Amino acid sequence: MTSADVKGRVNMARTRGLLRTLFIPALLLAMLVAIASCTVPQNNFAPASDRAQSVMSLYIFLIVAASIVGGGVLFGTLYLIVRYRARPGVQARQIHGNNLLEIGWTLVPIFVLVIIAIPTIIGIAGAARPPRDEALHIRVVGHQWWWEVEYEDIGPNGGALRTANEIFVPVGREIAITLESNDVIHSFWVPKLVGKTDAIPNRVNRLESFTPFEIGTFYGQCAEFCGAAHALMRFRVHVLSQGDFNRWVQALQTPPAPVGGLAEEGRQLFFGAAGCIACHAIAGTIAQGQLGPDLTRFGSRDTLGAGVFENTPENLHQWIYDLRSMKPIPDEPRFMPSFGTLPADDPRHLTNEQVDALVAYLESMRVE
Amino acid sequence: MATTARVGILQRPLAPTGVWSWITTVDHKRIGILYGVTALIMFLIGGLEALAIRAQLATSDANVISAETFNALFTMHGTTMVFMVVMPAGAAFFNFLIPLMIGARDVAFPRLNAFSYWLFLFGTVLMNVSFLAGAAPDSGWFGYAPLTANTFTPSASVDYWVLGLQVLGLGTLIAGFNFVVTILNLRAPGMTLMRMPVFVWMTLIISFLIIFAFPVLTIALTLLMFDRFFGTNFFAMAAGADPLLWQHFFWIFGHPEVYILILPAMGIVSDVLPTFARKPLFGYATVVFAGAAIAFLGFGVWAHHMFTVGLGAWATGAFAVATMTIAVPTGVKIFNWMATLYGGSLRFQTPMLFALGFILMFMLGGLSGVMHASVPVDTQQQDSYFVVAHFHYVLFGGSVFGLMAGIYYWFPKFTGRMLREGIGKVHFWIMLIGFNLTFMPMHVLGVLGMPRRIYTYSADQGWDLLNGIVSAGAFIIAISLLVFLYNVWTSLRNNPRVTTTNPWGASTLEWSIPNPPPVYNFAVVPTVRSLHPLWDEDANPIDPPALPPVDARAIHMPSPSYWPVVLAGAITLLAAGLLIWKQASLPGLVIMMASGVLMLYSLFRFAVEPATEPVHGHGAHGAAAHH
Repeated sequence: MTSADVKGRVNMARTRGLLRTLFIPALLLAMLVAIASCTVPQNNFAPASDRAQSVMSLYIFLIVAASIVGGGVLFGTLYLIVRYRARPGVQARQIHGNNLLEIGWTLVPIFVLVIIAIPTIIGIAGAARPPRDEALHIRVVGHQWWWEVEYEDIGPNGGALRTANEIFVPVGREIAITLESNDVIHSFWVPKLVGKTDAIPNRVNRLESFTPFEIGTFYGQCAEFCGAAHALMRFRVHVLSQGDFNRWVQALQTPPAPVGGLAEEGRQLFFGAAGCIACHAIAGTIAQGQLGPDLTRFGSRDTLGAGVFENTPENLHQWIYDLRSMKPIPDEPRFMPSFGTLPADDPRHLTNEQVDALVAYLESMRVE
Repeated sequence: MATTARVGILQRPLAPTGVWSWITTVDHKRIGILYGVTALIMFLIGGLEALAIRAQLATSDANVISAETFNALFTMHGTTMVFMVVMPAGAAFFNFLIPLMIGARDVAFPRLNAFSYWLFLFGTVLMNVSFLAGAAPDSGWFGYAPLTANTFTPSASVDYWVLGLQVLGLGTLIAGFNFVVTILNLRAPGMTLMRMPVFVWMTLIISFLIIFAFPVLTIALTLLMFDRFFGTNFFAMAAGADPLLWQHFFWIFGHPEVYILILPAMGIVSDVLPTFARKPLFGYATVVFAGAAIAFLGFGVWAHHMFTVGLGAWATGAFAVATMTIAVPTGVKIFNWMATLYGGSLRFQTPMLFALGFILMFMLGGLSGVMHASVPVDTQQQDSYFVVAHFHYVLFGGSVFGLMAGIYYWFPKFTGRMLREGIGKVHFWIMLIGFNLTFMPMHVLGVLGMPRRIYTYSADQGWDLLNGIVSAGAFIIAISLLVFLYNVWTSLRNNPRVTTTNPWGASTLEWSIPNPPPVYNFAVVPTVRSLHPLWDEDANPIDPPALPPVDARAIHMPSPSYWPVVLAGAITLLAAGLLIWKQASLPGLVIMMASGVLMLYSLFRFAVEPATEPVHGHGAHGAAAHH
């Protein structure tokens, strides 16, 4: 065997090693392409607020730091594996240790961690900063499996303005949200706007304040396991221009206009036989129930069922008739009944026609 | 007189073979095998749970399993893999190997050791019976209050979880004490602490972790049990409870638990690498102290599981820095393992492949762990798939790869036969590829905003492609396990018995005795003069000088006993009685009282029976025990 043969074999072994090595980076690269190439609504790396942007910068910095350290260890180990593979006539060197080296590689991670710790501490301090006075204050309460939303001071007659599952905010204004829970622990997360903070019963948590810089609709989702329908506890944040936001606020402050026809039948059911007002509220009416989502101007919402289903008359019909066919909600009295599937002699039972009327009424209340 | 203690069905079982000899065994090697086989079976069950989860998540809006089933499966997958797979797999290695490595004939308390195993097995069975009862635990392996309250989970699912964990946790705690006493007291002459193999060191450290961490879980579970069964208000929101109390309890236990899961693998790898590099571990003392430092620091970082609960800037900042410091001893270990390769003569048999896989995969999990310590970034990562990726790199890429290295390495010690090399290599490569295909894309899913523990997602989220890859990877892992099972089956059936005592050319004491070892382990307790007794020729305890032939009957081993299994059964029955009591009070009460009586009786018999039963025809000893 010539020395060239030996070299060739070593190179082949190296190539094979390299292919194995490239497997992970190649997979990583494919995934990075996936991040960049599609418009994913909860992408952490497509920030739309100052806060999400600064977190992303730190996130990318950490990925780069981890890649340098990880790449070093990975290629270092692969080099050692190839270089010191067993060869005939070569004995292992009986090394027991080296204090200087070991002190050295105790200091290296300390050095790297200090570099990571500094922006971390700065970030923690930044998040803890109280919101400015002119911030828009919103109170969000988690429920199994929907979100109650309350704006202080901008409701009808200087009271609170209430809605559910879809949060409207103006662009360019600081948003200060406090989080509470009515039952179990939930977690409020809108990846493009702000990282998550838990909504915990018997506590009031403050979400770090953020200022959205982009108009659009942003997806959010409960991030703490909260029972059967945890996966379907979503919500949306609509970032509007100041003008659009003002119009939205004004509409919600105005009592709903009188309706006629099927919608009027629905209105009578809503306030009467169907008993909806025991749990639901509509601003400017006698409906002031607090157990379920506020339905003021419901017709203008994009979604129903907590950000899950498109708000169409068909979906709303199905929801009222039998919400358990759409969402895994336990059959317990603290949740809304599946009105259509109740026994016919149950006073709460609703027929298809009655549900149609309710749908017509709810969809009639819109933000014009 | 000699027969009065052995009447009727309660006669002490002395037969060396048969089913009863396994049920009543107190031999640490047999108990180790029982732990190992149970862990393997539970690994397959936990794996099937994972496959069902991945089938459901492979596409958006899938309907493979219902939300309720999904929630039960991810709860039981986590609970199973942590408490019923990785922990008992570690226990299997401790049991089989520690006495062999320190030159002892058994653990300090052999019957207590059997008792630990049966508690673990019965606790495991109790919890999994919930599937048959249609009330599988479904509140997450972390069981956060107040979701576990009767108000929010009225079914018996949480009851099974609480009582099953309580029973198996008791076994774990007892094992922790057993191994501390064993390692500190039963070492062979000359085996100083700094001559112990790293695996023994890690076992000692883990045992201390268990002793300090598990009581916290026991207390938390007891409080929850009182809330659920007797109407107390420890975690009752309506009575003004703070739900964070549970989280502090759970993670003060739960974070040391992480190191209970990873340190056995670190110990295994620290012993496998030198054997296949043909040189000593680089910086033995440093690796040992780094392990101890990790364990110590592990008690001071629990709140990094709680960065999003609103602890305030000072607390989160302090816990962030504390968490980062753990990366220092961990990094030191990785550098020392790399340095062990330097200058070596590396042989790439299957144990070595898994050990190298461990180092690299664990390192990746460690790096993503450091990223979580950066609180602002963690607010995006917490409870997302990024976290799922991270802890699977640590627990699968770390613990499972390390345990696999240990299985291939010590298989001849356990069974007397090697595992097939060729199939082993195939197993390794399929598992490595399947593992990375499954868990690497999860990092990206986390970045794309996919939360954990969701049974479904909609198509417009853009998560379909990566979830498809993840699910495919999970099935590749399943294939690699089938290859492994085939390897075990064919090797046990067809491989010849190993003829040498030390097939890998290792340096530690367990390789100085036959494979598998005789029941008494060492015919003559060795005298140890070095960290590498089989490598340092002048320190070799076995040869020379030649040993005189030993009469095995002259070595008195602890006798088998019924009482460990009966006592464990009575305790489990007590827990089952409580479960029944909640549904039907009278039958439950009767069962609890009966099992309470049985428990006290077996405890009494356990206490008074002699550790070693006097043997017939061994007059002097028999008389001495009955004077």
